[in-house]
Amino acid sequence: MRETLKMLCSLPGISGRENKVRDYIISQIDGFCDYHTDNLGNLIAFKKGRQSAKNKVLIDAHMDEVGFIVTGVTDDGLLRFANVGGIDTKVFIGRNVAVGEKAVPGVVGIVPVHLTEKEDENKIPVADSLYIDIGAHGRESALTLVSPGDEVCFDGEFTEFGDGFICSKAIDNRAGCAIMIDLIRSGLEYDCFFSFSVQEEVGTRGAAASAFGVAPDYAIVTETTTAADISGVTGEDRVCVCGEGPAVSFMDRSTVYDIDLYRKALETAKQKNIKAQTKTRVAGGNDAGAIHKSRSGVKVLTLSVPTRYLHSPGCVCKYEDIESTRDLVKAMAEELAKC
Amino acid sequence: MEYSEVRSLLEGLCGKGGVSGREDDAADFAANLLSKYMPVKRDTLGSVIGKKGEGGGIILDAHIDRIGLIVTAVKDDGFLKVAKVGGSDIRVLTGAKVTIHGKKDIFGIVTSTPPHLAKKEDEGKAPSFDDMLIDTGLTGEEAKEIVSPGDRITANGSFLTLAGTRVASPCIDDRAGVAAILRCLQMLEGKSTCPLEVMFSAQEETGGSGAQAGVFGLEGSVALAVDVTFASAPGVSKEKYGSLGDGALVGIAPTLDYEISSRLLALAGEKDIKAKPEVMGGRTGTNCDEIQTQRGGIKTALISIPIRNMHTSVEVCELADIEATAALMAAYIEERSGENA
Repeated sequence: MRETLKMLCSLPGISGRENKVRDYIISQIDGFCDYHTDNLGNLIAFKKGRQSAKNKVLIDAHMDEVGFIVTGVTDDGLLRFANVGGIDTKVFIGRNVAVGEKAVPGVVGIVPVHLTEKEDENKIPVADSLYIDIGAHGRESALTLVSPGDEVCFDGEFTEFGDGFICSKAIDNRAGCAIMIDLIRSGLEYDCFFSFSVQEEVGTRGAAASAFGVAPDYAIVTETTTAADISGVTGEDRVCVCGEGPAVSFMDRSTVYDIDLYRKALETAKQKNIKAQTKTRVAGGNDAGAIHKSRSGVKVLTLSVPTRYLHSPGCVCKYEDIESTRDLVKAMAEELAKC
Repeated sequence: MEYSEVRSLLEGLCGKGGVSGREDDAADFAANLLSKYMPVKRDTLGSVIGKKGEGGGIILDAHIDRIGLIVTAVKDDGFLKVAKVGGSDIRVLTGAKVTIHGKKDIFGIVTSTPPHLAKKEDEGKAPSFDDMLIDTGLTGEEAKEIVSPGDRITANGSFLTLAGTRVASPCIDDRAGVAAILRCLQMLEGKSTCPLEVMFSAQEETGGSGAQAGVFGLEGSVALAVDVTFASAPGVSKEKYGSLGDGALVGIAPTLDYEISSRLLALAGEKDIKAKPEVMGGRTGTNCDEIQTQRGGIKTALISIPIRNMHTSVEVCELADIEATAALMAAYIEERSGENA
């Protein structure tokens, strides 16, 4: 799973441009399940279990990542861009990016600190004043390399560091994709549906369509969520803690979770000796927000890998948490299929 | 590939650490390259000094140190507190990937405040260096094994080849200057020159102590310093500053030797080397300020290489400008061959 995750994180795939991620996932699950791509680009897989399921269970993870889209080119050959998904301007100034199909290298520049007024030394420029510099001498030469509408991804190396941590762009939510690939390849007790969904970061658009198509009784959203377990933050402000297993949500900004499912997840984890923790803040949102409202309603559960610095070129999580998230997703899929 | 000599020198130099006061790995790398042309030593403050020929000659200076961070404390939870070394720009450090140069080099990342803990009044603001933390992913015990207060930290960044002959990298300030001097010596190979004294000076970013002490120990009374300067970009005026591709920017300032500066510009015209004047109203903010007043005074000139995004991990330069700077220095040195400057 580690190599799969590394590969998945390296692929570009902002919302609406998930094709490279989808192609790779297909290459990994082909021969292990039935699958098709729907109208929006969601990759829907059906995995036959050793037994048929009493309830239809859908496991979801989104394929897209946050990034940017080129909106125009200046006369000087610099690229203007818009955010795709929520990104704090602080984390991408002074970073490398890759633009378009050919992954043209570029950088996000800033007026040197020497030339800013003393009182502005800490002021982050507004995103609209920033540009991507690909080194072009002017508009014409820039347009030979890139076009408005091109996707822009963070250029993020995959690094293993510290005490079992990994750091990369797009761990949100290639971690979920890696878990689903692993489950599909490993064989399941009960029949199960999977949705590798598009466009989560721009408003959970893909999952709305795929949930309608699959029409599940239960859904498990496999995600990443903020771990604020950094120095100086204590108690429930940490939201969840790296190394303590999947965060189980009772409520976030887009979903009030089924309380029985939430409890069952924590109980099951305990029984099976899988690390798990409660997500201790009502924050964030994910595909569950779209899925629970699908058709006449779906009972949903979200299990998330605790991840620091989400939506940045350097998301940080513990590999062992991805493994325990997979284990609990698998256990819960079985529970829900037969209950 | 165009400008392959300059590119390979610059890429090698930019791959090294060398935060002010701990220049060793960059200085040793540069010293090794310089030793092809002349005997080399490190002086008391750590500057690389090379001498070719007897007696006072032309001094060539570029600084070898780079901006960075210094560890002030290793916390019990494994996170690091830091202070800046030189003019590190806090606005580009949130979420930055870094290398901590402890007992061994380890990876770290500058923490960012999660959205639910961000205060309204801090919106659009970078934290202060006092609040900055580095995540090592280690427990306190593990971190203390490897990292100690005083260890230096550099921001990670690749050497990126952009369109045309532009590149982006951390510490083009002032590895571009070091590369220009090495390239100049390459161009002069096999030619007779006046005596040369080369200095890759330590501690420029923290105030120029390296150049000040270094020059005192040399004999020459003429110095050419090479540093980087601002290149035009959105928010950096084209009228006021040079642009990428302008070539060697020859400093004209009250504190610089007007005769040498003028000659450099004239020579560029004669030899068809791209160059432009860069005018400043007082001191230059470079090693020239320290070099000029050493010993009984040194005639000092400045050649600057324009870069964008100074003091970030994505400093952008034009390789042609480094090549032009090297060519202009070589032409000047050749012109004065046979003299004791």
